[in-house]
Amino acid sequence: MYIAGIAAVLVTMALTLARAFMGPTVYDRILAVNSFGTKTVLIIALYGYFTGRPDFLDIALVYALINFIGTIAVLKFFEYGDLGRDRPSQPDDI
Amino acid sequence: MRHHLVLRVIAKLLIPLILLFALYVQFHGDFGPGGGFQAGVIFGSAFILYGLIFGANTARRVATPEVVRVLAACGVLLYAGVGVVAILRGGNYLQYRVLAATATGGEHLGIFLIEFGVGLTVAMIMIGLFYCFTGYRPSDHNNGTHPHDA
Repeated sequence: MYIAGIAAVLVTMALTLARAFMGPTVYDRILAVNSFGTKTVLIIALYGYFTGRPDFLDIALVYALINFIGTIAVLKFFEYGDLGRDRPSQPDDI
Repeated sequence: MRHHLVLRVIAKLLIPLILLFALYVQFHGDFGPGGGFQAGVIFGSAFILYGLIFGANTARRVATPEVVRVLAACGVLLYAGVGVVAILRGGNYLQYRVLAATATGGEHLGIFLIEFGVGLTVAMIMIGLFYCFTGYRPSDHNNGTHPHDA
C-alpha cells in the first residue's frame, strides 16, 4: 500500500514539475514549486513508514518549515524586489 | 510588509516553534536524525523568517551584526577548545573519552559541546548571509522597477 502511495505522489510530483517548467507566469511557477515541496514532505513521510523508520517525520517537518520560509522569500522578492524591506514606500501600498 | 496581517500572525505563531524544533534537533541528534548543522540552519531560518516578515532592519536590531560575528567565532572557538582541552588532559586532539571521569561520559560531553559549537556557528553564518543579501539594494540600479512577470 505504501508503494502505491509513493507511486501516486511521484506521478503528481512529475505533473507539478511540468507546470513549474511550462508555467506562463511567475506565480504559476511559485505555486508549482510550493506544492512540489508539499509533495516532498508527503513522500518523505511515506518513505519513512515504508522502510519502518518513523524518525523521517522529523525531516518532513523541517522540509515543511523550510518550504514555507522559502516560498515567502521568493514571493517577497518578486513583489518588492528586495528581501529586507519593512514598510511600503508608496502610500497606495497600504 | 507592514500590512500583511496573516503573514505577521502566522510568523509570530511559527517562530517560537521553529526555535524549539531547532533545539530539539540539536539536543536529540544523538538518537534521531539531526545534529549541529541542521539545528543551526533551522535556528537561523527562524531569524530569517522574522527578517522577511518584519524587515531586515528590525532583525538587525534583534541580532546585531556584531553579535552575529562574535558568536560565529565563538562556535569555532568552542569546537577547537574541546580538542585542545582533550590534549591538555592527556589524550589526542578531539579524543572525547578523556574529557570526563568515565569514557562514555566523556564521549557524551564532547559530542554535546562539539555539536553545540557547530550549531552556533552555522546559525550565525546563516543570519549573516541573510544580512548580506538584504544589504543589496536593486533599486539603486534600475530606479525601483520590480520584476513582476518573468
